Amino acid sequence: MNTIAVSLFLLFVLVTLYITYWAAKQISSRDSFYTAGGNISGFQNGLAISGDFMSAASFLGISGLVFATGFDGLIYSIGFLVGWPIVLLLIAEPLRNLGKYTFADVASYRLQQKPIRTLSALGSLATVSLYLIAQMVGAGKLIQILFGLPYDLAVYIVGGLMILYVTFGGMIATTWVQIIKAVLLLFGATVISILVLYQFNFNLNLFFSTAVNNHELGSKILNPGGLIKDPISAISLGLALMFGTAGLPHILMRFFTVKDSIQARKSVVYATGFIGYFYILTFIIGFGAIILIGSNTDYLNPEGGLIGNNNMAAIHLAHAVGGDVLLGFISAVAFATILAVVSGLTLAGASAISHDIYANVINSSNKNEKKELLVSRLATIFLGILAIFLGIIFEKQNIAFMVGLAFAIAASTNFPIIFLSMFWKNLTTSGAFFGGLIGLLVTIALVILSPVIWVDVFNFSEAIFPYKYPALFSMTTTFFFVICISLSDRSNQAIKDKKGFQEQFYRSITGIGIEEGKKH
Amino acid sequence: MKDISNLISIKKQIILPLLFTIIFSYFLFIIFIAYFPELLGKQLANSSISYGIIFGFLLILIIFIVTLVYVFLSNKYIEPEIKKIAS
Repeated sequence: MNTIAVSLFLLFVLVTLYITYWAAKQISSRDSFYTAGGNISGFQNGLAISGDFMSAASFLGISGLVFATGFDGLIYSIGFLVGWPIVLLLIAEPLRNLGKYTFADVASYRLQQKPIRTLSALGSLATVSLYLIAQMVGAGKLIQILFGLPYDLAVYIVGGLMILYVTFGGMIATTWVQIIKAVLLLFGATVISILVLYQFNFNLNLFFSTAVNNHELGSKILNPGGLIKDPISAISLGLALMFGTAGLPHILMRFFTVKDSIQARKSVVYATGFIGYFYILTFIIGFGAIILIGSNTDYLNPEGGLIGNNNMAAIHLAHAVGGDVLLGFISAVAFATILAVVSGLTLAGASAISHDIYANVINSSNKNEKKELLVSRLATIFLGILAIFLGIIFEKQNIAFMVGLAFAIAASTNFPIIFLSMFWKNLTTSGAFFGGLIGLLVTIALVILSPVIWVDVFNFSEAIFPYKYPALFSMTTTFFFVICISLSDRSNQAIKDKKGFQEQFYRSITGIGIEEGKKH
Repeated sequence: MKDISNLISIKKQIILPLLFTIIFSYFLFIIFIAYFPELLGKQLANSSISYGIIFGFLLILIIFIVTLVYVFLSNKYIEPEIKKIAS
């Protein structure tokens, strides 16, 4: 066990628990719990958003992918980044102008509350749970390797701390934990990259040619490899990544923490800058690992693979260029990253339960802010325990498909509903509800029938649905059904739904009415 | 409710070209990966840097520049128009 890592991590826990204590004193209302009272600045929110994206899985996973295959890692990075201009150009400002706490506020703005909120909460919870399972299992395994703790204990620690942060500190603590971690991770990754490039006098040509000479694939690491095999899969994955980001509840939730649409816009620019910079660093780190640890027996097991697995490339590289100190620092930051990301996810899930399901579906006639706040705290504890439980159950399962499925659901259910409710005047309650539901079911079915579950998990020899990524089919299905059902909807509700569009659109692009909106 | 047709047309003029730029350049990248992987693997003369890596880094830059341009244009053209409507 690395004492530097443990002491740095304990320091992080102490600081973040103090922040939680400080945040808890300020939480008096729903506003402060869900959105930090709207007091986060664009810059702070940009850091927090980039923190949500720079998860341990993307830091270690993408640098590991670059280490194993070279160029293919870049395809994923760019896919994750390209969702941001889409969020900025289409979603961010109307979302801020129309919503208060969850994206369901926006989706149900002019539609019937109960069905649309139920559907949105379903979409949110599905995305959040899949993401949470992936993070928890990844966390347990990573901490096992880094700190030598048993898997179950690691999952308990992560789950326990996360419950503390979110239950007591709400969005205020969640945001600040995320900001601190984002700064630490950007700093750590920058240090590793500089130390690596320093060894090559910052000569990129020399850097890449040494990597080519060191890798068993040779110059193949400079071009696309096996990640994407056919054009349909390529376009399908591209769509899921491009529009999935605009449907992730824990990301959308962050736009309610800033004062207005100007700050919302600013946050995306900062976030895009930080995330883009971070992905460039992971690319350098992956190539650095090829050169410095790929043939260094200190970091290899007897079979010639990396100790741990390929995802440990960045961690080993930190040791190779910066010794025990940098290894300790990066390990502690990786642990902190997991905590920050699961906290954001849990808060998004909890607000879907308390604000959408409890306050607007189950108990809509009897609005009580204090009770809703209590329910959101209970929902946090419930989700935290559920995450621990699922983390333990899924330890030995193949969970590689989970983040992909989360993105597919976000792109094929959440995004179409949000997008059409904002911009299409003929959308009706039935269209959104049934179309969205069909889309959700089709997405899940296609993923189950695809090679990632049918072959890799159920061990059938051939998949029924041949493509690994369903978005091309599932997104079109959702748009098709939502539009057809809406157009054929002749109910009185449909007339009301369409009538509400003018006023909603006016508010969504001017922001006029937003202050009143905050009070009711 | 005041007339917002001017605001809508300004917004369209700013957003649509930027959206097109992003979608076009990203899918160009994806299509190159799917159909012409060996072209992306070609290396610049006397160098180990491939066209693919340059394209990829350029795309990251384009994505960031698009967000900057949008904020710049919004502050210059959209915000004054919204203020006019709100006043």
